[in-house]
Amino acid sequence: MILEFDRVCKSYGAIRALDGLSFRVDRGEIVALLGPNGAGKTTALEIALGLRSCDSGHVRLFGSSPRSAAVRRGLGATPQDSGFPDMLRVEEIAWYVAQHYAHAAPVAETLDAFGLASLSRRRAGTLSQGQSRRLAVALAFIGAPEFVVLDEPTTGLDVESRRNLWEVVRRAGERRSILFTTHYLEEAQALASRILVLDRGRLRFDGDPATLRGRLGTRRLSYVGADGPVAVTLADSDGYVRNLVTSGAAFSGLEIAPPSLEEAFLSLTGGNV
Amino acid sequence: MNALALVRAHTRVQFLDLLRWPGYVVPTVLFPAMFYALFALPYARTRPQVADGTTLGFMAFAIVGVALYQFGVGIAQERGRPWERYNRTLPVGAGVRFAARIVTAVLFGFLTAAVVALVARAFTPIDLDPAQWLRAAIYALWGGVPFVLIGITIGYWTSARAAVPIATACNLLLAYGGGLWIPPEDLPRVVAQISPYLPTRQFADLLWSAATGSGAAPALLGLAAYTLLFAAAAAAGYRRDERTRYA
Repeated sequence: MILEFDRVCKSYGAIRALDGLSFRVDRGEIVALLGPNGAGKTTALEIALGLRSCDSGHVRLFGSSPRSAAVRRGLGATPQDSGFPDMLRVEEIAWYVAQHYAHAAPVAETLDAFGLASLSRRRAGTLSQGQSRRLAVALAFIGAPEFVVLDEPTTGLDVESRRNLWEVVRRAGERRSILFTTHYLEEAQALASRILVLDRGRLRFDGDPATLRGRLGTRRLSYVGADGPVAVTLADSDGYVRNLVTSGAAFSGLEIAPPSLEEAFLSLTGGNV
Repeated sequence: MNALALVRAHTRVQFLDLLRWPGYVVPTVLFPAMFYALFALPYARTRPQVADGTTLGFMAFAIVGVALYQFGVGIAQERGRPWERYNRTLPVGAGVRFAARIVTAVLFGFLTAAVVALVARAFTPIDLDPAQWLRAAIYALWGGVPFVLIGITIGYWTSARAAVPIATACNLLLAYGGGLWIPPEDLPRVVAQISPYLPTRQFADLLWSAATGSGAAPALLGLAAYTLLFAAAAAAGYRRDERTRYA
């Protein structure tokens, strides 16, 4: 097993960021941590990276505490946005990070894989947002670690760069385990072998993308009935309409719509927003 | 990865980053030499004895200044930055990172002190033979360590804003009280009584012993005590930061 969270709680003052979160990442899995802002994704990631400790529960990275530097030899992570020292060159930053790992890939090879070869002599301070993002993701892989943690790898990228980066991550992620956070449902479904949906510090869904898609195959149905407006969200909208008609009840203004991402979250997270 | 290779990698990156800010590096390196030219040169130009004493005093001033500013103020400013946070996720312990900071500060301070020495060589009858210069250089390298630790202590115990005035006050008071600018015998009486206990005075005594051939042991002992004291204070500050920022 790579990472295990066991009933992890974490509060900041009166705010409960994680409320008994349990999940595990096994060897070879690509796990997405999906959730709206404030769901606890960042806190969960910080605890997994050893940046924070939990109030109660247990976190095990390769069977030990992620707070130990030695344990993190098998871990690669992304820096936050635009956090590089401005004056260092891309290749210097990559070299520096690679120095921390015993089996690091050649720097030039990794930069090339992430489309950074032509930028290797550029100062970090002159990179565009998309280029910085690619460098950040490349750094997580450069040490050839067993476990890679990506914090919102494609936030701020346009659709095309996002898809390109997914492709690169998919290739670089072979034979590795990856945990990444995202608030794009599409990104979770494109990359992950398993998706965790987090809301208010609790796990609301843990399963493969196909199951999630099945759950989200619901429809939002509304009409005005004899007792006023009715709105329901359900999987079998056809069956509902059939029953409604055969029941002979009066209704008007029937509408059936696919769920928005927000509604998908609502249905997964129990409707309490 | 072995720790020594990592210290080298961290030092290299810190130096590269530093050297690419000429607007910062040039004035920092030249300031103590300029100070020396303005305030010591007029007295040292004709008298070898005065030249020896003031040059070594200002070399100590150069190193202390770099240690307190670059590393005190620098750490206070970097603490909350994303790059610092990222470094904490790398498989590297605090020891390696501290060691790299100390090496960088000591080498950079040494460079600054060397400029003072060059000015003295060019414009004064300073009278040190190569063996004495070598001893002074070795003392300058090692004697800077407690000051880097004082800098790190300031960096972890004060905010980014407070670090600048605090480092300035420490630097100026310690330099004055330690007799780095004015020979200890010319200090006001109260100051002269405190002076022997200040780390700057011990650093100056150490450097002066290279010229006079007197014993370096008392100064080394004092500096060793300050090294232990501020290593503990810096480590406590680091842990405090860990408890609050990375709780």
